[in-house]
Amino acid sequence: MSAASAVSTAVQVLGGIVLAPLLPGLVQHWKARLQGRRGPTPLQPYRELRRLWGKSMVDPEGSGPIYRLAPVVVAAALAGAVLVVPVAQSAPTLGLGHDALLLLGLLALARFAIASASWDVSNGFSLMGASRDLTLSVFVEATFILALAVAALTSGTTDLRGVVAGTAGIGVWKSPALALGAVSFAFVVIAETGRQPVDNPDTHLELTMIHEGPLLEYAGRDLAYLQWAAAARHWLVLVLAAEVFLPHPHGVWLQLAVLPVALVPLCAALAIVETILAKMRILLVPRLLAVGAAAALLGIAAWIAGAA
Amino acid sequence: MTGALLVAGLGAIAIGGALCVLRRGLSIGLAVQTVGAAGVAVAGFWTLGSSASLGDGFSSSFAPRLGVDGLSGLFLGILGLIAVPALAFSVRYLRPGPNGRAVGALTALFVLALALVLCGRDPLTFLVGWESMTLIPAVVILVSRGADRRARRTVFNYLALTHLGGAGTWVAILLLAHAGAIGGQTTIASGSGLQIAIALSALAGMGTKAGVMPLHVWLPRAHPIAPAPVSALMSGVMIKVALYGLVRVLLDWDGVLPVWFGVLVLAVGAFSALGGVVYALFEHDLKRLLAMHSIENIGIIVLGIGASIVLRARGADMWAAFALAAALLHCVNHAVFKALLFLGAGAFERAVGSLEIDRLGGLLRRMPWSGGAFLVGAAAIAGLPPLNGFASEWLTLQALLHVPRYGNVGDGVAGALALAALAATAALAVFCFVKVVGLVLLGAPRTPAAAAAEEQPLPMRAALVFLALACVALGVAPGVLFGPLVGLAPWPSAHATQLGLHLPGTGSLPTVGIALVLVAVTIGLALLRGNRRAAPAPNWASGQLVEPALNWTSAGFTKPLRLVLELVLRPQREISSRTVGGVLQQVAYSGNVPHLIEDRLYRPAERMAFRAAVHARRLQTGSVGTYVVYLIALVLVLLVAVRLGVIG
Repeated sequence: MSAASAVSTAVQVLGGIVLAPLLPGLVQHWKARLQGRRGPTPLQPYRELRRLWGKSMVDPEGSGPIYRLAPVVVAAALAGAVLVVPVAQSAPTLGLGHDALLLLGLLALARFAIASASWDVSNGFSLMGASRDLTLSVFVEATFILALAVAALTSGTTDLRGVVAGTAGIGVWKSPALALGAVSFAFVVIAETGRQPVDNPDTHLELTMIHEGPLLEYAGRDLAYLQWAAAARHWLVLVLAAEVFLPHPHGVWLQLAVLPVALVPLCAALAIVETILAKMRILLVPRLLAVGAAAALLGIAAWIAGAA
Repeated sequence: MTGALLVAGLGAIAIGGALCVLRRGLSIGLAVQTVGAAGVAVAGFWTLGSSASLGDGFSSSFAPRLGVDGLSGLFLGILGLIAVPALAFSVRYLRPGPNGRAVGALTALFVLALALVLCGRDPLTFLVGWESMTLIPAVVILVSRGADRRARRTVFNYLALTHLGGAGTWVAILLLAHAGAIGGQTTIASGSGLQIAIALSALAGMGTKAGVMPLHVWLPRAHPIAPAPVSALMSGVMIKVALYGLVRVLLDWDGVLPVWFGVLVLAVGAFSALGGVVYALFEHDLKRLLAMHSIENIGIIVLGIGASIVLRARGADMWAAFALAAALLHCVNHAVFKALLFLGAGAFERAVGSLEIDRLGGLLRRMPWSGGAFLVGAAAIAGLPPLNGFASEWLTLQALLHVPRYGNVGDGVAGALALAALAATAALAVFCFVKVVGLVLLGAPRTPAAAAAEEQPLPMRAALVFLALACVALGVAPGVLFGPLVGLAPWPSAHATQLGLHLPGTGSLPTVGIALVLVAVTIGLALLRGNRRAAPAPNWASGQLVEPALNWTSAGFTKPLRLVLELVLRPQREISSRTVGGVLQQVAYSGNVPHLIEDRLYRPAERMAFRAAVHARRLQTGSVGTYVVYLIALVLVLLVAVRLGVIG
């Protein structure tokens, strides 16, 4: 293994596992600043994880093995996804390969596990959140795969390493395809990270929860796993945004150097979007995502027209 | 050697069927059938692996011929693989009365009819097998349901629809035989009118039998009322055998079809996939829900076939072969998990006495073996890694992704839309099976009957666990089947046989590694979590007491989606409340999601057919004189036609 791919693997694994909580921390920090509050430090998610790690867990009445297993399965699926998404164009396979569509499968596994856990505990608010999450996932998944299709067509492969390499440089931006794919992926980022205008991560009102709903009964290390998983979701989609859908250079070292330069403004952008926009009515979110899907379809048409 | 095994297996099934008729022969007869089915499975997969043909080759002449090649071998393998657990399940599921014995014997006949379609090498044998595979399940339903009037009406619907639609099969096969295209004596010219006529009638005829939307209406009615093992064979194998016919006609005998026809097949597949899963979501009866899901999965397979047609027409032969292999692999996978789910539903029905999805609950605790196997099947059909449904859905997605790569803007965007439709279908399937798992297996029992459910006897449990293990095995090593499946394409194609799926231009799916990493990380995280000292706590319901009336139902869980899709689905709901002196006494709610295709397409068609029949009856006056006039008129018309050179 070359030094470059060793370093990129280290960034991928350690970044995905250790640095991931920093991303939602940054968003919360800046959001508070934009709202004129001082707000928590960007390190707040780490403090919460440490606090949760020391607390005892809770088993609500009537809950069974699926409820206990779900946080572990969710965290394992997200850890697997972290191993799938590379941070540069060169990395060893780490057992899972680097296929873009596998990422969708792993996210579906996590969704299945946490939604089943809501049924196991039979909490009405958990189920409300789960059913909304699953409803939106239909539209998110269709938009997600179309955005990935634009990138895959542009680079000629669904291997994410190849996608990172194939979308690098200035040349690919001569066709509008990738730009349209980026527009579509922006909607996916907001939906997958559970941020406004799709979902409100700060809500404490059970009736408005989507992603937070199924987490309602969890405590202690179970909740720590689930909160880490939510942070890892930020890492995955933001790394994809930075290394695929935003302009990035050729070469592993330059790509690694550019990663923090892209991640920080992306977090800032999420904070700004969340400050400007209020949460949408949930039934209108599919229309928002349909705009994203339409952009990606235009991107695919543009790519075919350009390739012919 | 393989041929002898196949013949012996089919013979054992026939003997087992005959034994079932005897007074005390049901268990022995079913056991003999099970052994025979195992022989058929081994022989079928062996033929697939060795890619050798046995017996006669295809011919357009009508002399009876029998033989097996790789594609037949694959479907014989599926037949055996599903028949073994279904028959083993029947040993304890069927009651040893006259009805049970008749069903046992008819099951053997059903399996033999399916084998006849697969082994027939001439048009006549194929069509005879095709018709018996339609008729025998109808007899099984009539026998097992006795005097149930609704079941009779359903069987009538089933026969009427499959025969009306099935006419397309006859037209396609007879046209092909007439042209001498079965067996490759002649090739049908691409883009000719004959080719399109054959393709369209095959799509209509065989599509009806496969349950493709909008020709599906018989399927969600007929499958649920059959006994569980026969439901498993119908949903797992029979509709796959219909697709076997479709693959033969569209990809082999009918030559290279034009791009637009492939796009049409893609549209049909996407419509079936989305429509099937959406209506499954709003279904309340477990077996009907599973039947709707069969329509969804048939749609996924048809998407693979459509991608193969488009890619072949565009000259991308390698990916056309991959797309076909993806469709065939999904045939195997769907057969396995759908049989598992239908048999599991049968076990739950035995234990609880109802399949109303809101009246079960908590069965994972009461029935750990059946429930656990059912959970694996649900995760597999939802397309979750590392199980088998994910592997074939991944392949189908990759195939669809290659349609825009080789196409022009029109079919490329169609391919992209199909890709998005399949992704949405996968997400909807997750939604639907979360609902099923939650309402059937998890939480507290919702009725006293569910609370008293008992685990079922060993043969039934063993059948379920066997199929669950098959889901895992096919998910961990899909490449073992995928390699030979690529070689089945009628054009030159080959792919190395590996454990995982390694295709050029993709990130590959090292399925073994994925399974190992996921299991290892899950175990590692569970260990890291340490001794799980958990405090018991009441359920949080914003401070109010948790009572059974707060339980969520199937309708409640799917409500957000129902609201989002309101414009398309037109759900109906009615709320009436009764107040006495301004105080609310009672609220009644009823709601349902009507099946629009039935209401808007079939009902009017039915009404028009009846009206036409009334008019047609006027021709039947009953007087001999009128009929003599008809005959003279016919002769005159024929004479004029001959004179003008229209005929003869």
